[in-house]
Amino acid sequence: MAATLCMKLLRNQGWAPLVQSVRHGSKAVTRHRKPLHIIKQKLLAVTQYIPPARVVPPGAYPAENKCVQEDAGLSLLLKKDLKKVFEESKMVAVVQKNGSNAEDMMILKHRLCKHGIKVKFFPNQVTRSFLSDSVYCNMAPLFIGPTVLFVSKEPKVKEMLSALRASPQMTLLGACIDNTLLSAQGVVSYSKLPSVTVVQGELVSGLTMLTSRTASMLQHHPARLSALLRQYVKQQSPDDGAEAAPKAEAAT
Amino acid sequence: MALCNMMSVVRAAVGGLAGLCRAHGHQRAPLQSCLKTCAAGLKTYPVTPDYSDVLLPEKPKLKFLNKVPNLKKAKKEHKKLRDIQGPAKLANSFTSGQYAIVAMGGGYLHWGHLEMIRLTINRKIDARTTFARWRINAPYKPITRKGLGQRMGGGKGAIDHYVTPVRYGRLVVEVGGKVELGEVEHILTEVAKKLPFPAKVVSRESLEEMQRNQKEMEENNQNPWTFERIAHGNMMGIRRVLSPFDLHNNGRFTGKFHLPGRV
Repeated sequence: MAATLCMKLLRNQGWAPLVQSVRHGSKAVTRHRKPLHIIKQKLLAVTQYIPPARVVPPGAYPAENKCVQEDAGLSLLLKKDLKKVFEESKMVAVVQKNGSNAEDMMILKHRLCKHGIKVKFFPNQVTRSFLSDSVYCNMAPLFIGPTVLFVSKEPKVKEMLSALRASPQMTLLGACIDNTLLSAQGVVSYSKLPSVTVVQGELVSGLTMLTSRTASMLQHHPARLSALLRQYVKQQSPDDGAEAAPKAEAAT
Repeated sequence: MALCNMMSVVRAAVGGLAGLCRAHGHQRAPLQSCLKTCAAGLKTYPVTPDYSDVLLPEKPKLKFLNKVPNLKKAKKEHKKLRDIQGPAKLANSFTSGQYAIVAMGGGYLHWGHLEMIRLTINRKIDARTTFARWRINAPYKPITRKGLGQRMGGGKGAIDHYVTPVRYGRLVVEVGGKVELGEVEHILTEVAKKLPFPAKVVSRESLEEMQRNQKEMEENNQNPWTFERIAHGNMMGIRRVLSPFDLHNNGRFTGKFHLPGRV
């Protein structure tokens, strides 16, 4: 049969001849993985792929260019509704509903309708994406969990609080009244505030207190006035002495 | 003051009436409309892909491939195992289909494999929406075998059967039509598992991605020592243990096997 020692000479002139001594070993292409020469193993180990060093671990920072998904039709519609709601209403309250039936909801809605407060449902994802674009971005943390919006044109906080007190499972999270964000306690204190007219009246009365008091005093009987002044002088006399007394006498 | 009180009473009455009317309006609607449970997200339905520009050929199924090529005189051939070695130069990119099975190693496909592929795919695809194409030839390479119990010697054996050699990176079958990968993937994986070499189901995009990843790895390799550099420069006299095949393929292949992760 064939010689046990074979010599191969490459035809290509430019290359150095490669002398291979084959002793009936396996061919180059085998069914099993041929054991590699130790030097070839070393070469493969030395020339392994080294990836570029990462300064930051892969999950540390959020992705720079987040793929912004375009809103589908329904979410655009809902956003338009939301925008209208925010524009029309002065009061927007966020309430969390936990385990209320349709019946309870209906009763609550009936109570609120009497005062012109409407109950609105919107998906949280849509609300959050709408809020991030608009002015009301700080309301975003309120919209977590099953939330409902109570909107009304007039800020009728007292009635809303009374209605909410009746239903224990509804929790007020916060509200935006007259473009001011209020927490739950803020809403309660807002409800305790007197109305605008009352406050104005108080302010006016406070400013004109002095003049009104003087006017009312001057309208008294002169005898009473003189008695009052003498009393005043007597009070002043331990402080000033005889100087105040002639002045007071001259006045009367 | 009395007038103001009267006005407020009238206003309250009007408000109450209006509220009642609204309440009646709500009551007319069913109970469920009062309580709407909104999901946290909003389900958006992606637009279905448009297949209007996809042409389906007349014969969508895989054609029958002969066991034996019809030659007048069948000639015995050398073993020539180098037709399994190394990467594929032919038929390694898509032509008409969208999804394909690509070979991740070298091997021979004989008629039994081809029949298995043909029957599985023809049975499982929907001929109205999908078509399939062979990317390999019918068996043409003769494999000889000696009879059982024969001693060495006495010439070369007789032709036993024919095979098709397949290299790494060659597409075996291509599938296309008005379908997405998900509809076709399970059929192709079923076939790919039964092939004598490791095979993978790819789409046009995933094949491009594979090739791109390989190029990227080659470009941003931080190791200053590469197989190519050492082998071409015959550093340390390494050509003693390397073959010209290794020079061409830069250590990515050994025999019929492909070594993944090599650059």
